[in-house]
This record gives sequence, structure tokens and C-alpha cells, in this order.
Amino acid sequence: MTALRIVIALVVIAALAAVPRFGSDVLVQFGINALLLAVLAQGWNIIGGYAGYASFGNSVFYGLGSYGVAIAMVQWELPFAAGLVFGVALAVVFAFLLGLPVLRLKGHYFAIATLALAQVMIAIVSNIELAGQNIGLVLPPLNNDPLFYELALGLLVLTTLTIFWLTRSRFGFGLIAIRENEEGAAVMGVNTTLYKVLAFALSGIFSALAGGIHAYWITFLDPESAFDISLNVKMIIMAVFGGPGTILGPVVGAFTLSAVSEVLSSEVTSVAGLFFGIVVVAAVVLMPRGLADVVRRFRKSGWRYFIENIRANRI
Amino acid sequence: MDLLAQILINGILLGGLYAIMALGLALVWGVLNIVNLAHGAFIMLGAYLSWHLYTYLGIDPFLGLPITAIIMFALGYAVQRGLLNLVVRGPMFNTLLITFGLEVVLTYLAQLTFSADFRTINPPYAGNSIALGPVVLPQARLMAFGVAIVLTLAMWAFLLRSKLGRAIRATAQNLVAARLYGVEPRHLYAVTFGIGIGLAGAAGGLYGTVSQINPYIGAALTAKCFAIAIIGGLDNPFGVLVGGLFLGIIESLAVLYIGATFADVASFGVLVAVLIVRPSGLLGKTA
Repeated sequence: MTALRIVIALVVIAALAAVPRFGSDVLVQFGINALLLAVLAQGWNIIGGYAGYASFGNSVFYGLGSYGVAIAMVQWELPFAAGLVFGVALAVVFAFLLGLPVLRLKGHYFAIATLALAQVMIAIVSNIELAGQNIGLVLPPLNNDPLFYELALGLLVLTTLTIFWLTRSRFGFGLIAIRENEEGAAVMGVNTTLYKVLAFALSGIFSALAGGIHAYWITFLDPESAFDISLNVKMIIMAVFGGPGTILGPVVGAFTLSAVSEVLSSEVTSVAGLFFGIVVVAAVVLMPRGLADVVRRFRKSGWRYFIENIRANRI
Repeated sequence: MDLLAQILINGILLGGLYAIMALGLALVWGVLNIVNLAHGAFIMLGAYLSWHLYTYLGIDPFLGLPITAIIMFALGYAVQRGLLNLVVRGPMFNTLLITFGLEVVLTYLAQLTFSADFRTINPPYAGNSIALGPVVLPQARLMAFGVAIVLTLAMWAFLLRSKLGRAIRATAQNLVAARLYGVEPRHLYAVTFGIGIGLAGAAGGLYGTVSQINPYIGAALTAKCFAIAIIGGLDNPFGVLVGGLFLGIIESLAVLYIGATFADVASFGVLVAVLIVRPSGLLGKTA
């Protein structure tokens, strides 16, 4: 069974990797976006899905990763890889510096504090000279979509493998314990502060890498787009739609919603955003534990599954 | 010195408006334990409603406030009864997420119906102002401030004195006990949410007379309302008033001394600082 699963996984990855050889340019570009969004959803999955801390500020890491690459390449003329490292370093420093105080907050308060941080970043970055202030930075262009596609795919595989490792490691079980009962976890000897900050940093690393790749691919960034708050909307919706706290849920959620949104926005522009809103409202009411849970339980209860969910949570 | 006095006056007038914006959010949060991320979007809807009443029917924005508030109350009641009541017993994250989705839906619906153009409600007296020694009081802002104070007082009296207000406070303290005394939670939750949204609608109408409106103002307003609710605590409308004034003054001072782009940084900096030092609010007891 495990061998079969590994084979299936390898076949799927190989098929995805072959897309640039056979697919059209449009498909490859869509693929890069979908893969990077899947990485963001997976990154959110670590802190939001496993540790249970609903971060509304992961777009900050994405922005730091973008600016890390841009500053290193434009201002210091370093190679792309050095930029990625710099972006990741920024994200880790940020995760530790702000994670330590902010992760002491629980529930609503944590969500709101991270939301506030995400809003403040635009104003701060647009006043930093090194980051090009309001105008932003223009990176040297590299017209090589297949390369960016493979990079994004590689990053998604790496992120997913990390989460796979998480589900079997002491660290991952510690995070799940924190999600289920933080005091209980602390009593059992889990260093909750350390675990939470590490989870925050880990989710930041992957988001920063995604931001870095995106920055070099788009070759232009300004504070508004790099710290785009609506990115938080997307990554959370995708992770929750697919199934937070599962290995493949966020990836499936990201691919499904990206595809539907792409089709919708080519048919009727501006309806795509509306669609995201409706999906999240419907998902919270009908399938609050995501697609992964629907797949698991639908066979047993059939259509009653959705009614049971409503029954459990209404007054 | 005159400049400082003027800035402080501006901050106080702005703060009154902020308070009325946050009042509904704090009420819903305190009673229903729902942090309504769509609150700012409802303020935006109220502003558009007021704008339409003024532009097409010629109803003065201040006289039209009750109409706006009543329509928004009905909308809020329907949203809670038909949607939020379905998830209210679920984990906190679910209610956060569903109101988040609601925010996105309302913003895009507003964009589709009203277009993304900036609008302002411009009654003929919009440019008038009253000179008071060295400082100038813009008339529309002053009136908005006055309405905000009156509404806060009315809210306080309502929660303290009326039967419905007592039922709402009882539910906030202990849902089970309130139920035993004959409170029907589905209806009461919907009424409370309706009042919160009605207040948001009125706040939107006031906001439209002093500032520009477009479909995207919601998210930033929600964040400000949070900051105020957290600074002021959730127990008492007066706490919210103090929180609003505090934030209004901080923002005005930040604009003067650090620069206009830092107004939001200052208010959110205060928010994060307060959250870390006193998560239950500067004035609030433990939530």
C-alpha cells in the first residue's frame, strides 16, 4: 500500500513536471501561479492547520521573500539563489521577533494581531529607501517560464514532504497537541512557545521562497502587490477548502480553486473574487473540516454528511 | 500651539466617529462571541445606502440615518438568522472565516453594483465650519460627532434599562441561564447582530459625509474597529467611546509628527502593543 502510494505520487509529480514540455504557455503560467498558491496554502497549513493558530498575516512572509530577492538582485547585484537565502533569513528573523510576542495571544486576538501586522507592512516598506519606497524595484528579466514552473513544483514537493515528515515527527505531534489543548500539551512537557515559533518560522520559510520565485518571475514588485492582503484570503480559503491539518488537502484545495477561479475570470471578470467569498461561506457551513474530511466520511453518511455538519454547529 | 489644538480637535471629532463604527462590532463580539470581519463591509454598505438616499431621494444624510439604520438592522437580522446561527456553536475559527467570506462577497457585490468610483455625500453645508478662537470646527464632522455621542449614550441606556437590553447582557454572561429565563437565543442573537449592523449602517452614513467611500474601505475599517474594541474592552459602550477618541487622537498626532503614511502604522502599533500587554483591553476586565 505504501509502495503503491509512493509510485502514484511519483507518477503525479512526473506528469506535473512534464507540463512545460507539452502544455501551452498559458497553461504553464497558470501552473506557476497555482503551484505557488499551493505552497502558500501548505505553509499556512503548518501554523493554521497543525498548530491551530489562524494566522491572517502569512502574506508578510511572502512579501519579505519577494523583497529579499529583489533587494539582493537589484541593489547588491547578487545571484538569485543568494536572494532567496536573504529572503528566507528575513522571514525567519521576522517570525522570531514578532512571533514571540504575538504567539502568546490566543484565538481571535492572534488572528487580529497578524491581520494588523499585514496591513502595517505596506506602509513601512513604502518608506524604506533600500526597498525602492513606493515605486518598488525592477528585477533583471529572465524569460524562462519552464524554469520557474519547475522551481515552483520543486518547492511544492519540498513543502509537502516537510509536512509529511511533520505528521510523523515528535515536532508535528507537539503542534497537534497544542492545537487540541495548549495547556494540556504544556503539562505533557511540550515547549509550547518554542514549538509555536518554530512552526511560524517554518511556515514563513516556505511562504518567503514562494514570494522570491514569484518576484523573479514577475520581475517587478511594489509594496502594494508584494504585501497584498488578499493573498491571505486565498491561502486560507484554499487550505480550509482542501482540509486544514492534512498532508494533501491544501494542495488539492489550491489546485481546485485556482482552476475554477481561472475559468470564471476568463468568462466573467470580477466574478472570480465573488466566487472565493461564496466558496468560503458555503464551505464553513457545509464542510468545515474540508474536502479531505468529505472524502473520508461521505461514503458512510452520504448527503446527510452536510446536514450533520449544520446540526452540529447551529443553535 | 494653535496647530496642536486644531489637531487634537480633529482627532476628537474623528474619534467620535470611530467609536460609533466600533460600537456594533464590540456588541456582537461581546454577546455572540463572533468577531465580525465583515463589519467594515457593512459600514461601507450603510455609506452607500445613505449616499443613494441623498442623491436620488434628496434625504439629508443626517435625517436619513434612521432609515439607513433600520434597513441595515433588517439585513443584519436576516444574515444572523439565516447564516451565522448555523455555525455559531462551531470552533471560533469557523465564525471568523465565514464573516471573512461574507466580507469578500459584500465587497465584490458592492463593486459590481456601485462600481469602484469614489463617492462622497455632499450636503450643502458640507463646507461650512464654525470658528472657535484659533481652532476651526467643520460643521459636518461636528454633527457626526454629536450623533456618535448621542448614539453611544442611547446604547448604554438601552443595554442597562430596557428589557431587551437586559436579555442581551444576560445572554452575554450566561447563555444557558438566560435560556432558562425565557430568552430565545436564535431570535436574540439575530436581534443583537441586527443592532450591531444597524449601528454599522448609521456609522457608514456618517462616514460618507466626512470621507470618501468606495467598495474597498471595509477591511481597513474593520481593523480600526478591532483596535478600538480592544483598547476599550467589550463590556461597556463608554469604553468603546474612549477607545475611539484615543485612536482618533493618536492617528491625528501621528499624521502631524511622523507623516500621513504612518497614521495606520501608529494605530495598529497601538493595537498590537495593547494586545500584548493587556489582551482584555486597556479598560476591560478579563474577556
